[in-house]
Amino acid sequence: MSAATAAVEPTAATGTRASAIVALRQAAARVATGIGVMWAAATTAYVVLHTMPGKIEDILVGDQTYPGAQEAVAAEWGLDRPPVVQYLDYLWRLPHGDLGTSYAMRQPVASVVGDQLWPTVQLTLAAAGVAVGLALAVAVGTAGRARPLRALASVAELVATSTPVYWLGILLLMVFSFGLGWFPLTADSGAASLVLPAVTLGLPMAGLLSQVLRESLEATLEQPFITTVRARGVGETLMRLRHALKHAMAPVINLGGWMIGSLLGGAVITETVFGRPGLGAVTLTAVTNKDVPVVLAVVLLAAFAYVVISTLVDIVNLLIDPRLRTR
Amino acid sequence: MRDPRRLAAVVIAPLLLAGCGPSGAGSRTSASGTSLTWGVTTEPQCFDPHRSTQQNAFIIIRNYVDSLISKKPDGTFAPWLATRWKISKGGTVYTFRLRDDVTFSDGTRFDAKAAKANLDYVADPANAADAASLLVNYQRGTTPDPHTLRVELKKPDSSLLESFSSVKLGFLSPAALKKGDTLCDASPSLVGTGPFTIDGYTRGQSVRFRKNPRYDWPPGYSEHRGPAYLNTVTYRFLPEYSTRAGALSSGQVDAIEGVQPLDVPLFEDAKGFQYRTGPSRQTSFTLNVNYTRGPGADIRVRRALRDGADLDAVVKAVYRGTVSRAWSNIGPDNSDYDASLKGSWGNDPEKANRLLDEAGWTGRDSDGYRTKRGKRLTLEVGYPQPYVRDNRDVLIEALQAELRQNIGLDLDLKINTAGEFTDQKAHGTWTVYPNTLNPLDAGMELRQVLGSTEFLYGNVRGYDRKLDGMIHRALATTDLDKRRPLLARIQRRAVDRAYIVPLFAPHYQIAATDKVHGLGFETQLDSPANNYAIRVGR
Repeated sequence: MSAATAAVEPTAATGTRASAIVALRQAAARVATGIGVMWAAATTAYVVLHTMPGKIEDILVGDQTYPGAQEAVAAEWGLDRPPVVQYLDYLWRLPHGDLGTSYAMRQPVASVVGDQLWPTVQLTLAAAGVAVGLALAVAVGTAGRARPLRALASVAELVATSTPVYWLGILLLMVFSFGLGWFPLTADSGAASLVLPAVTLGLPMAGLLSQVLRESLEATLEQPFITTVRARGVGETLMRLRHALKHAMAPVINLGGWMIGSLLGGAVITETVFGRPGLGAVTLTAVTNKDVPVVLAVVLLAAFAYVVISTLVDIVNLLIDPRLRTR
Repeated sequence: MRDPRRLAAVVIAPLLLAGCGPSGAGSRTSASGTSLTWGVTTEPQCFDPHRSTQQNAFIIIRNYVDSLISKKPDGTFAPWLATRWKISKGGTVYTFRLRDDVTFSDGTRFDAKAAKANLDYVADPANAADAASLLVNYQRGTTPDPHTLRVELKKPDSSLLESFSSVKLGFLSPAALKKGDTLCDASPSLVGTGPFTIDGYTRGQSVRFRKNPRYDWPPGYSEHRGPAYLNTVTYRFLPEYSTRAGALSSGQVDAIEGVQPLDVPLFEDAKGFQYRTGPSRQTSFTLNVNYTRGPGADIRVRRALRDGADLDAVVKAVYRGTVSRAWSNIGPDNSDYDASLKGSWGNDPEKANRLLDEAGWTGRDSDGYRTKRGKRLTLEVGYPQPYVRDNRDVLIEALQAELRQNIGLDLDLKINTAGEFTDQKAHGTWTVYPNTLNPLDAGMELRQVLGSTEFLYGNVRGYDRKLDGMIHRALATTDLDKRRPLLARIQRRAVDRAYIVPLFAPHYQIAATDKVHGLGFETQLDSPANNYAIRVGR
């Protein structure tokens, strides 16, 4: 509000104020869109889950039959209310930080999901680090170089992107944990136990990123300004890292943002293979058990992650590409 | 996903384990001798004995939960928290004399009041405890004195002793019971009288137990007395077969359960390891054919399904000889298994074809399946995804291929969701349902899958009244010697009329390093027993 009243006062600083207001408005719009996306995701998930065959109370009761079981369960979980009421109740509880109670685990969803969040974030960040690091090294090292080197890199990338995460994980475990004993399987033994899962999850991403980055780099290297830079006598590697890379990054950053968002799927498999805690396994069992509160919480979380990441991607794009700032 | 997995297992596992396995030998972790780490297939969704439904949760819960009585391998019962018991003439009143030296690990005394509180809690529909199905005939409990528990029933129930030996009716401290809904969490406040107490839990990774130093009330069949040998026991949740096997062969865990056929040679007769298989008293993995619907309503079609394939060969091919094919849905090690069924059915494609011809399925479609009036002879197998495990889907696919080739029957495997199955169950529209049940009393098992009021036939019209009558009589007969022939007749009728097609007898497989001593199986669960009598060391 104070920003709005300030806006009508004509001062010398109107220009900067105005642009600050524009930025604020954009930020507000961004937050509103974010909330909208999350609401839409949660609502869609809610509808889909409730239209899946089978009544939740029947599933909760399982194979056991005794008089009054279904009714008792329905009453216990509030499933005897109309679906719309349950939905509104759910929406009402959300802003109060109440995500409900898991049907299958009979515990507050917030604590279940909360406990599993950090291991998955850890894995995702480590995997993204592996992917970006490898992709940068390979792409910068091979773009525009001799044909055999590029061909070799291409094959390696293709293999990395098309290897099933499952297979890769088991292979790495066999060699480096069970065989050589370099990395333990125990997830609470710190960074050492994170290496193999991060490589497993990061390698296919690295392959894809590196492909895109090399192509983009090669296109950049054809640009006239590169000739200018070269003419100044800048060394090849320095030139690539300081000048060409910045221009080649745009498509990679967009792709990378999408990839981090899609990591949850890969995390399910990776966490299973390595017996790691995390959202993956929790999500999988929740979906197969129709554990609605848990699935909804994960959907909300995923939507939130997408919103945050796409915002970050936009900001980074603004920072590296001045043309986007002139509008 | 299955293909890469199998490729990895087939090509990589033996190669690498053979090549690199021994190099890991120096890093074994079990040298301390007072701790043991298991690699297990399943993470319990719920650690509450009364509420859990997963068989693999009970092998873990057993560490902190004791029962009223115990079951011996010969099928008879032995004392546990009750020293002796008496059944009234009519079979409706059970009187248990309880031990007077038992305490819960929170210090509360275990007495008749605590026992009754557990039964009342389970029987109350408001608590929606899964174990309530074991107490359908429970009228009330009374406590004439602090160490006497009287259980009154609405009608005689021959499965009751089995139920009282079950971990599902094991005891939690009255204080723990009050925690109600939060009981599923493996927190230290989940308190029983068992030889171990819950010490720590990381969801998705592991649960740790610590020895109860005051424990001195083992089940009657136990040879060990006093507290457990081990100080701590850890269960690591490793759902992936190859990961478990690799973790054991590299010494990162001391024992595993759920060894896939491919990995058996790594541990069986292998230096430094031991491999053991448990009994099979639970239901065999069985196709239950809805005998009231579609082509399956015709006994000739059902018998053709039963006999159209060489089940011996199919089971051997899929499980590489590590399990045996089944003849009844009651497990071969169950004292109520009808052994006379062995060799009495199966593998007669010629007769099966004749039956299908007689039944009018004489046409053939372009895929080679039999047809009648233009309709293909199809029996759908609806298998809920959460229950698909240890290659059971592969087994059905193998059977499907053989039946198609031998008799032109389309056994159509459809992996569905728990929700879809629940829906079919609620409307009685399921066609073929493959399942096993947790070990129960044999009469109870037969009632569960064939009884008119139970989960499979509860909503099906036109069930076999004669069979249903036999089941009810069996459950009301408390004289086990009179009951056994009745149970045998039920099994024979179900197989003869091909209501069921038993496939194979599943059992637990454990592998461990040879430093682990005292590994065994609990009769009541068919599973690895708790870690009470286990020692680690040379």
